[in-house]
Formats: sequence, C-alpha cells, structure tokens
Amino acid sequence: MTSVSFLDEARELLREFPVVDGHNDLPYALREQVRYDLAARDIAVPQNAHLHTDLPRLREGGVGAQYWSVYVRSDLPDAVPATLEQIDCVRQLLARYPADLAPALTAADMEAARAEGRIASLMGAEGGHSIANSLGTLRGLYALGVRYMTLTHNDNNDWADSATDEPRAGGLTAFGRAVVREMNRLGMLVDLSHVAVTTMRDALDATSAPVIFSHSSSRAVCDHPRNIPDDVLERLPGNGGVAMVTFVPKFVLQAAVDWTAAADENLRSHGFHHLDTGEEAMKLHRAFEERNPRPVATVATVADHLDHMREVAGIDHLGIGGDYDGTAFTPDGLNDVSGYPNLVAELLERGWSPSDLAKLTWQNAVRVLGAAEDVARALQATRGPSNATIEELDG
Amino acid sequence: MADLQDELHAAAEVGTLDGLPDPFAAEPYTPVSDPDDAPLERAHAILAAHPVADGYSGLPWALRHLPWYDLELGESSVDTDVPRMREGHVGALFWSLHLPEGLAGDRAVGATLEQLDLVKTVVQAHPEGLRLAYAAGQLTDARNCGRVAVLLGPAGAAALGDSLGILRSLHALGLRALTLSGASWASGAGLTRFGEEVVREMNRLGVLADLSGASADTIRRVFAVSKAPVVFTRSAARALRPHPANLPDDLLAELGAVKGLCMVPLTAEQTGPFVRDVADHLDHVREVAGPECVALSGTYDAGTAHPQDLGDASCYPHLVAELLHRGWSEPDLALLTWGNAQRVLRTADFTARAAQQRREPSTAKIADLDG
Repeated sequence: MTSVSFLDEARELLREFPVVDGHNDLPYALREQVRYDLAARDIAVPQNAHLHTDLPRLREGGVGAQYWSVYVRSDLPDAVPATLEQIDCVRQLLARYPADLAPALTAADMEAARAEGRIASLMGAEGGHSIANSLGTLRGLYALGVRYMTLTHNDNNDWADSATDEPRAGGLTAFGRAVVREMNRLGMLVDLSHVAVTTMRDALDATSAPVIFSHSSSRAVCDHPRNIPDDVLERLPGNGGVAMVTFVPKFVLQAAVDWTAAADENLRSHGFHHLDTGEEAMKLHRAFEERNPRPVATVATVADHLDHMREVAGIDHLGIGGDYDGTAFTPDGLNDVSGYPNLVAELLERGWSPSDLAKLTWQNAVRVLGAAEDVARALQATRGPSNATIEELDG
Repeated sequence: MADLQDELHAAAEVGTLDGLPDPFAAEPYTPVSDPDDAPLERAHAILAAHPVADGYSGLPWALRHLPWYDLELGESSVDTDVPRMREGHVGALFWSLHLPEGLAGDRAVGATLEQLDLVKTVVQAHPEGLRLAYAAGQLTDARNCGRVAVLLGPAGAAALGDSLGILRSLHALGLRALTLSGASWASGAGLTRFGEEVVREMNRLGVLADLSGASADTIRRVFAVSKAPVVFTRSAARALRPHPANLPDDLLAELGAVKGLCMVPLTAEQTGPFVRDVADHLDHVREVAGPECVALSGTYDAGTAHPQDLGDASCYPHLVAELLHRGWSEPDLALLTWGNAQRVLRTADFTARAAQQRREPSTAKIADLDG
C-alpha cells in the first residue's frame, strides 16, 4: 500500500500535468444502457452504480484530457451509421457539460483546456470497420472530430489483421497501407491497439507520423495478444509514438489471462460461445467463478508493465489508456476513473521522478498529436485527398 | 444628476407613434436595368445585381465518375462549371447528395459521407470559383467575394439511417437540406410520428425540408409541423404538366400560405421543351403561390434533358429575358432569382437559433415512435 504522502504528491503532480487517457468507452455504455438518454445518466453527479466514469470522479482522478471512444461492434452490419450516432453522443456530452468538457481537436486545444481547468475531449474510433473500406468516409470521421482510429477491433477487417482473429492478410493489405497514409495526411493518429503484431509492424513501416497504442500493455510482462511485444516497443523511439498502458485485468495479469481462458473453455465445453451473456451461459460462468476465484489485478500489476515498457521503449513513449466502461473488471486501486493518482503514487514510490510522470500522464500524449498535425501539414502540401479503393488496390 | 429626473417623459399613448415609419417595411426597390434596353441586356443587368440561387445540382454524383476535371478552367463533360456559372450569373447552388436507388442502410449513410467529402474536396480544389456556405449570410459573403456559394444538400431521407443522431452528425458535416421521401417514416403513406420528430429536429438544427417527390400526405403534414419554411427543390406546376413531382394548384396555394418555396426545375420532363414552357410554369406558380414563393432550380447534371436554349448553367439570362418580355417586374425577378431563397435560408437560421433555446437534442427512436 502506498503511503499517504506519495498519494498527496501524486495529486499535486496531476494538478500540474493531468492524465491524458487514451480510451474510455462511456459513449458505448450510454448507448447500451440508456440509448443515449443523457438525462438518465447525468454524469455531473456520481454514477458509481452504473458507470466507471462521471465528472466528479474524472476530477478526482486528475484527468485533463480524454479520448472518448466512438466504438461500435465489428460483428454487426451498419458500422458507419452507428459510428455517427456515437460521435453525436460525444458532441451532445460536450454541449451538455461545457464547464467541464472542452472540445479539443488539436494539441493546442488540449493545452488550452488544461490552462482553463477543463477536460479536453477528443474522439477515437475503435476499428477500421467504422469506415466501411472508404477513404471518403475516413475523411468524414476526421471532419467530425475523430483524431485516432484503431486499425481493427477484435475481428479482422478487409484490410488489416486483428490480434484476436485468425491471420488473413498477414498484416496490412495495400489498401490498409493507403488508409494509414491517408490518416497521416489528415493528421489522424494511427492506433495499433487490438491489431495483430504483423499489422503493427506493417503500420510502423507505412506511417510517416507517430503512432499510438490507445490501450495496450506489455506482452513480455503478460503474454496476451492484446499486448505489445518488445520488438514493437523498441521501434517507438524511432517512430516517436506512444504506448498507453491499459488496466484491463484479463490483459495485464497472467493469472487473470489463464483464468479467463479456463472460463471461456468451460463455456465452450458446455456448447456456448465464450462471449455468450445469456442466462444459461452466465449461470455456468458464475458456478465456475465460485469454484475458481477470479484473480485480482492491482496498481502494482499495472506499474510492473510501465516499468518494463519504460525499459524497452523509453520514458518519452509511455502513456495511459484505462479502457474504463469498456471492461467489466478493473484492478484494485484503479476501480474507476478516480484511481489514476494511486498509479502515480505507486510509480513515485518506485522512484519515478516528477518529470518522468509529467511525460507519462500528459506531455507524451500531447506531443504525439501535435507531431501528427505537423506531418499532416507537410503532407497536405504535397498531395491531395486519396480516392484509392479497396477494389483497385487489393483486387 | 438628480435634475435629469425632473422632467420625466410620459409614456407614449396608444396611437401616438403611428406617424413613425414602420421599421419592418420593405426597402423601396431600386431598379438596376434600363427599361428601354433589349430584354436580354436588361436580364444581364438584373442578374448581375440579383444572381441565381439554384436549388438543385447533380454535380457531385456526376463528378464522382470523372477521372479528372477542372471546373475553373471549364469542363465540357458536365453542364456546370465556373465560367458558365459566371456567364449565367449563378450566385449560389445546392449540390445534391442524392444517391442512386437501392443504396440503403450502412451503404446510404457511408455513401452520403463520401458525397459530403467529395463536395468539400471539389470546393477546396477550386478556391477561385467556389466557396462552401452553411447559412444565408455566408451566401451573400461568398457572392461579395466573387465566389459561387455551394450549399450541401439535399440528401435523401435514406441518408439518415432512421436516426436523429446521424441527422445531427450530417448537419455537423454541413448538410443543409434533406428530401423527405424514400424512408419508412416519410413514404407514400405520409409522415409517421418519427417523421414529425425528424422535421422538428431539422428545424432545431437549421436543415431545410425538401418536399419534391414527397407524397401529398407527407407534404401537408410537414406544412403543419415545420416551423421553418419548406422548399421544393425540383417541382413545377402539375396544372401544366402532369409529372409526379409537380405540384397541383391546391398544394401550391397552401405553399403560398405557409410561405414556402417552389423551385421550378429547368427540365424538359417537368416543365416542357422550350423556354416559354418554363416561363409558363413560373407564371403559374407565381400566380397561385405568390411571387415570394417561386424560385429556380437548374437541375443540371442530374441526368435529365433540358429545354432548348437552357442547356447549361450559362443560360439563365435567356429565361429572365423571356420573363421580362412577359412583364415580370424587376422586384419580382429579384425575388425569383435570389431574394426568396435568401429569405427561406435566413428564416431557417432564425428558427433554428430560437428552437435551440427551447429544445434539447431529440433522443427519440424510430422503434419507440413508430413501433
């Protein structure tokens, strides 16, 4: 347990350099729970019973900028319309809570929001399925304010392999590389969370701007496909990108990875899909959980990842992406968005300096967006919008 | 300072201010052409002062399939380019985002995003000739800068994917007009409850309701529900030509009562093969709906044939000359070409601003309202 003085110091540091969080699924939670009836989940007051996220807890957690995920499911049709609804949800949140949430499209906007004491609000699309193989649609999302796109979600799409699907393209296809190039030209960050290692490598080869991992941890510390292997982390200094450590227990704690695998296997052995949340399946799942207590991750688990990632990628290439409201379970001490000071305190105790922590929480993430803007300006002077189609490039 | 209070002015009694000029009175019209000139010469003079705000251009879909084009230099494979718009005195035009039949759901929304992106790309690529405009004032600004104002819309109702959230996102991308036909909530059977909510949300945002091609039931319901003036981007008089998108006299009269706008298309199919046929329609619509409710819609590059001498965007002076010949007054022509469209857009802006004070963004779902 961290001592009180470290926690105080952590809060003090966060006042100066608050957290930029790379991934929060509040919009999807609002979509699923109340069909965007924002009055039914007024985040100006605590929503502990329903959500990981509300304004009081964001404040308590020292959050200064948030990438709101406009995630939609990749296994359903109509991803583009659903994504527009998600974007509308974020815009409505911004209109509803102007004193706390500041619309942000650029690194300068993030700094301005910090100076005003508001939470810079950006958008990230989680999965290339949101553009339906169209660069025009990609530009539409950018025009609506989306500033990163994760190349895949849990499923492959037509032009990129996911970490959690069978290899198909072997990374990025030619059209996938055209998507990356167009994102570079626009100034939309390329997010490599969720993608296969082959896709990570292809994207790093194709991009001319720094990339991010909006919510991924280290595969050397915990062997899960959603995490980043060391050879990819080693490329971040050359690329200038940022890996934002995630807290999801089933990705960061080996015991939880194994437990989840066993629980999934248990469901499958009874003839259910491992993501089935129907009544019968949940009953089996609860019985399994009674026999096998679920391993619990802690702040130290996440700090272990950061220590290792720092060793491999360097202090200038780390960030935080909690994935709150996008995961059922969270680590002890990082239970909701109010928990970030505990992580900072843990790192202080491990000897991280205040300037290291400023980079981790704020400066690296702001730098990477600014760098993407610089690259975009340069590219826009040399080439116009691409109208490449997947039929042309991938045949 | 107390002595300033000594002589308090008595409040004006009812009637005492009647001698003051009405602050809302229309400014007297200053003629811009010489009545002794030939009609074509006068037409150019009038259009130079009151350019055409054109209600419908099919250019986005036409350009989508051209490998290369330069609208500023001139582009013979389409009917609309900057030199011809300048020759025809086009000051503003709506660029249609309509899609071919059969695109629905994901594909309609995605294709509409692509169309919006294409229009923005085209306008950016022709900065000397074109400028995007999102509100009435920006039309005038573009005009004052010597640019043709491009308005985004109308899009088809299918572009909404039955979701008000998508409507708001499309509005954020610049969409300013939506055609209320071709969706389950705005069909031949009329406007459903969700359809009414769509209209109210359009009013709140400032998206014009386009009713060309809508059913009579839908049209009447929108007349009743909409707080902002509605437009028909491509409708002529059915009394003269029985085309389904043309308006019968009773609807034209009702349109006049709600001060909407009937934008008469220059197509052989809807108005007839000659300039005089188009003029007949304009005469008729002006007669029935009123001079404040009639405007022009070139409907170029939309795949339809045009009347003789009205083959492309440069031909408006011919039409105005014909109308002058028929005795249209200059003020009425100014309304026809520019003034009425300005008024409708401006009213839509005001309505939106007022509605935003009163109404939250609607969270209504089609499943809840139309079950």
